[in-house]
Amino acid sequence: MPGPYKRKKYHFGDTHLKKRWRTKRRKKDLDEINEDLKPEKAAQLLDQEVDLDKPGDAQFYCLHCARYFIDETAMNDHFRTKVHKRRMKALETEPYTIEESEKAAGHGSFVPAKKRKMETQQPLSEEPPP
Amino acid sequence: MRIDTCYFCSSRIYPGHGIQFVRNDCKIFKFCRSKCHKAFKRKKNPRKVKWTKAYRKTVGKELAIDPSFEFERRRNVPLKYDREFWQKTVEAIKKVEDIKLKRQNTFIMQRLRKGRELETKRDIKEVQRDLSLIRSPAAGLREREELEDSIVEEVHDSDEEMDPDEDDARMEVAVN
Repeated sequence: MPGPYKRKKYHFGDTHLKKRWRTKRRKKDLDEINEDLKPEKAAQLLDQEVDLDKPGDAQFYCLHCARYFIDETAMNDHFRTKVHKRRMKALETEPYTIEESEKAAGHGSFVPAKKRKMETQQPLSEEPPP
Repeated sequence: MRIDTCYFCSSRIYPGHGIQFVRNDCKIFKFCRSKCHKAFKRKKNPRKVKWTKAYRKTVGKELAIDPSFEFERRRNVPLKYDREFWQKTVEAIKKVEDIKLKRQNTFIMQRLRKGRELETKRDIKEVQRDLSLIRSPAAGLREREELEDSIVEEVHDSDEEMDPDEDDARMEVAVN
């Protein structure tokens, strides 16, 4: 056929989204965060050693969003954002697991996930000094 | 031959199909097709995606809790080969499958029956509300008026007859 090939672009404008979805850039899943919320692990994560490669030297960490902040004000502001509230809401139901996918396939009874209460960690300034 | 289940849609994965993702905590996520893998990469929640088994069971569209589901399961217990045992299990599998299918089908039929009840109720309500479209409210109005008039006349007549009787009764009470 004469003429150039069709140069119509499909999927344009979603490169930035696709980059975010790559497994290379994958962030923690809800079930991993659920593990982190257990008291021993949580204490470990909230009291990390100084790591100069992480934002804020890894001293300001939000457990539920698995995210480092540069300072206290940034973290406290984050607790009031929509992103954080949405994450809290998502964590209210128990996360989906591989076992649950098997139960849904008929290998065992499928019990619907329970709801629970989620509370944001204490802001740093309100924590009692050690 | 092992038939795995998809992490996202819980369908069967036959050998040579699908893709696996191993997370850095050693958990293996198996997907039946790229559709499911893509949805996982986008962090979609299978409980909220309508075409997955997990959705259908959480919302109550399919039978979720039943002892017949307890048979097919990964037990991780080694068993010594025994011909008779093998034959018996194959027969049992067929029976269990029959029972399971029956239960699932009855569950769905019962769920639909509820909808039919609601539908009839809604229909009756609609007819009552829009009865004027089927039968004009003015239909038979003249006949009804005539009937009412005749009744009123009768009532008037009976009133006149009733009054003296009552008076008599009162008189009798007074006399006593």
